[in-house]
Amino acid sequence: MTGVVVIGAGLSGLAAACALAKRGVPVRLVAEGLGGMALSQGTVDLWGHDPAPVARPLERIAAAPQGHPYRAIGAHNVRSGVELLLDLLGEGFLEGDIETNTLLPTALGALRPTALYPPSMAAGAPSDGARWALVGFDRVRDFYPRLAAGNLNRTQLPGGGFVHASAHMLDLPDHPLLGGADASAMTVARVFDQPGYAQMVARAIAPLVKGHDAVGLPAVLGATGRDAWATLTRELGKPVFEVSLPPPSLPGHRLGQALTSRARELGVRVALGARVTRFTAEAGRVIAVHAAAAGAPRPYRADEFVYCPGGFESGALTMDSRHGIVERLFGLPLTGLAPVDELITADYGARQKVFEVGVRVDDEMRPVDPAGEPVYANLRVAGSLLGGAIRWAEKSGEGLALGSAWAAVEAIGRSAA
Amino acid sequence: MSAASLQAGHALARASLDACVKCNICETQCPVMAVQPNFAGPKFVGPQAERFRQGESVDRTLDYCSSCGSCTLACPQGVKVAELNSQARAVMKAGHMPLRDRLISQTVLMGKVMSPIAPLANGALRVKALRVLIEAFFGVARDAPMPVAAGGSFERWFARRAKRRGGSPPPDADRSRLGPDERPDKPRDGCDAGEVGAAGEADCIGRLTPNARSRGKIVFFHGCAGNYFEVETSKRAVEVLEHLGYEVLVPRQGCCGLARQSNGIFDGATKNVLELCAALRSAGADLPIVSASGSCTGMLKHEAHEIMGVDTPELADVSARVKDVMEFLADLDAAGELPHKFQPIEATVPYHAPCQLKSQGMGLPALDVLALIPGLKVVESGRACCGIAGTYGLKKEKRAIAQAVGAPLFEMFRETGGDLGICDTETCRWQLRQGSGMRVEHPIFLVHQALGLGDA
Ligand SMILES: Cc1cc2nc3c(=O)[nH]c(=O)nc-3n(C[C@H](O)[C@H](O)[C@H](O)COP(=O)(O)OP(=O)(O)OC[C@H]3O[C@@H](n4cnc5c(N)ncnc54)[C@H](O)[C@@H]3O)c2cc1C
Ligand code: SF4
Ligand code: SF4
Ligand code: SF4
Repeated sequence: MTGVVVIGAGLSGLAAACALAKRGVPVRLVAEGLGGMALSQGTVDLWGHDPAPVARPLERIAAAPQGHPYRAIGAHNVRSGVELLLDLLGEGFLEGDIETNTLLPTALGALRPTALYPPSMAAGAPSDGARWALVGFDRVRDFYPRLAAGNLNRTQLPGGGFVHASAHMLDLPDHPLLGGADASAMTVARVFDQPGYAQMVARAIAPLVKGHDAVGLPAVLGATGRDAWATLTRELGKPVFEVSLPPPSLPGHRLGQALTSRARELGVRVALGARVTRFTAEAGRVIAVHAAAAGAPRPYRADEFVYCPGGFESGALTMDSRHGIVERLFGLPLTGLAPVDELITADYGARQKVFEVGVRVDDEMRPVDPAGEPVYANLRVAGSLLGGAIRWAEKSGEGLALGSAWAAVEAIGRSAA
Repeated sequence: MSAASLQAGHALARASLDACVKCNICETQCPVMAVQPNFAGPKFVGPQAERFRQGESVDRTLDYCSSCGSCTLACPQGVKVAELNSQARAVMKAGHMPLRDRLISQTVLMGKVMSPIAPLANGALRVKALRVLIEAFFGVARDAPMPVAAGGSFERWFARRAKRRGGSPPPDADRSRLGPDERPDKPRDGCDAGEVGAAGEADCIGRLTPNARSRGKIVFFHGCAGNYFEVETSKRAVEVLEHLGYEVLVPRQGCCGLARQSNGIFDGATKNVLELCAALRSAGADLPIVSASGSCTGMLKHEAHEIMGVDTPELADVSARVKDVMEFLADLDAAGELPHKFQPIEATVPYHAPCQLKSQGMGLPALDVLALIPGLKVVESGRACCGIAGTYGLKKEKRAIAQAVGAPLFEMFRETGGDLGICDTETCRWQLRQGSGMRVEHPIFLVHQALGLGDA
């Protein structure tokens, strides 16, 4: 077996590559750039909105309608995909209950349902009458405690009742690594990794948060570990929770980095800066993909290919000036196509059906043509390229990525056997 | 600075600018931003500031960028961030280039001056007082790692050896083709004394008659560091290739101009790279070209074109043929043509893949090849950069940044390794040797040892 080539370094690509490597399959991961994890919340969303909040995601997944990618993936593969992720990340990286969604506050003060989350977000699960102090940092853009607290205070909890959030601002203590007037979330997070800094911040916050049950802070408490969050929790003597910010999202970044090093440890060979631009196929099988590289393109041959290139955001799907939508590498058949005024509507908040456009797969995660026949016998697709779901509206992105990655790996195992 | 060539390279990088979606993913990977908060970071000085540039950059923090390329590598949208930065810096520095930047980018000159008097030169660079003076006058940080000149050049070794083995070194024909600073200051063995080779042969310093020529001819590109400083690396690479059955040709060659390019001296660098292409092509059409200098290879493969806009058919020909030696071996293996006859090496060795190598989009071929050696455990550093980034970390105003960038990597090397670490490019090895206090060599050393050709 010459092994498997995985294309794409997002959640689905990394998960598929790690799962294959764990099974002893030689695997090569080829990607143009890093995946979108630093754009995500750092949580594992399985199914959150329907559009009403979903309480039990796996049950909802099991009842996915015809045409929804969860239908081909199946709830059992989602469960195994999530278990794979937990196993890869190790004890204490994520917590929560895969059966039941938890509501967590966003930077705007909405409550969003998710299945798993980092321990540093756990105390943000709301309860009636909880007194929260939301503290913003002067130099951190994108977290405005008054806005968040205002929205939270008028949001009724599903079981009834409200949290009582108050808003506070803190001038961050100086640090040589902090630099000028405002700093990126990443810069501030690195300063929180410096010895003694979290203690200093805890001393400054303490007077602001007296009489509160929990403290909500922008998610900048460390670029890598959880030390800063643990220190703040200990020093303040009450639960502290992080609230995810717009990109770069630190919780998402931490997850991405952890998975990437895990892949490395498992012996996954990674080629970054390698956009796959061409492929060769023979007798209904993909023989090789060819990636751009300095000098000359490099061919990657394999028995099986897992294609995890993301969707519109990563450029795997594009729309031309005549509104023609194509999948750029293999030219795969797409579902969900319609005249452009049906796909994109002027009402910004409406369901934009363009994001449902994507590839349809069979149970083996192979892209199929309109007749339902697989396009190539050894090409499988995972992640955001799968059509039929609007991930951010449904809050289903990670579940789809992990479930399809797992289903593809299982299918490869079956076909090799 | 040649406006025309810069514009060509610039058009290429600029075309990628609109693809930026401001996701900030590049910022999460920039090693300089992690230690120097005054640096506005890749997204800002790259695609963002580029929109406002008409001529010279108004944003001077741009000079903090080390051109390590981590941003370009990470960007999911294919924005050529580091390339934009290099170009904008060349414009910014044009006209007021510090003498220091001109000098440290003269790698051939440095090698020439130092190599005949190696013990003396090496000694002098280690003398603190002298380094303090150099820093004061030229701005090369007094504690920056300095190349250690080898006693004799690789060219000399190769030519002597060719002669000893009864090869036929061709005449040292056309010296005038080389630029003044590439002209050897004394006659070389082999070439000058040599017997007459076949008419019309390349301007070679030698040609070996290996035991088995089963695999045909191959051209070796040594780079200036590989000629004067990291001579052992070049020797071992050649011995490995010969062992595999290649007839190794070493045409007389000068510098690739990378150091000048990274210091924004595009005119000089363009001249260098074109002369080098001519030299490498003179050895024969369509032959594979192999190098053990990862960064020089990167210059030939893409930087000369993408950063400086050099757009000649000769460069295009060379860039498609040149391979890093580990890439070459990994590709042989992928094609099933590398015999797995390796002796075991019981060791755990830390490995740092230099940014220059990673940015070539070929993955990490050294890991593929070293994985074939029984008993050997190679641990990849996973770090973006060692800090040196070519000549960046040599400069006194950048030295502290370079050290801060490298610190976690030095620690990783010390924690992982015995006494040996590995890394594919020269200046990174100098930085790592100094930072970790360990022996740091090119991965070819381990291949050489595992093939039974000598100790690593
Ligand atoms: C801004 C944003 C917000 C989102 N918010 C939510 C949310 O709130 N909830 C939710 O559930 N989901 C959300 N999602 C969706 C979710 O993040 C993704 O579904 C999930 O990350 C799965 O990613 P992926 O692995 O499919 O692809 P990605 O993470 O997009 O990775 C794609 C990879 O493929 C590579 N690539 C692409 N083409 C090629 C090629 N030709 N050759 C080589 N490599 C290639 C890219 O470089 C990259 O490495 C959001 C997505 C975005 C972009
Ligand atoms: S340059 Fe690339 S990585 Fe950086 S912000 Fe723009 S799109 Fe994102
Ligand atoms: S080239 Fe390196 S130092 Fe420069 S901006 Fe990009 S990542 Fe940062
Ligand atoms: S990269 Fe190599 S050939 Fe180029 S200047 Fe440096 S040592 Fe010389």
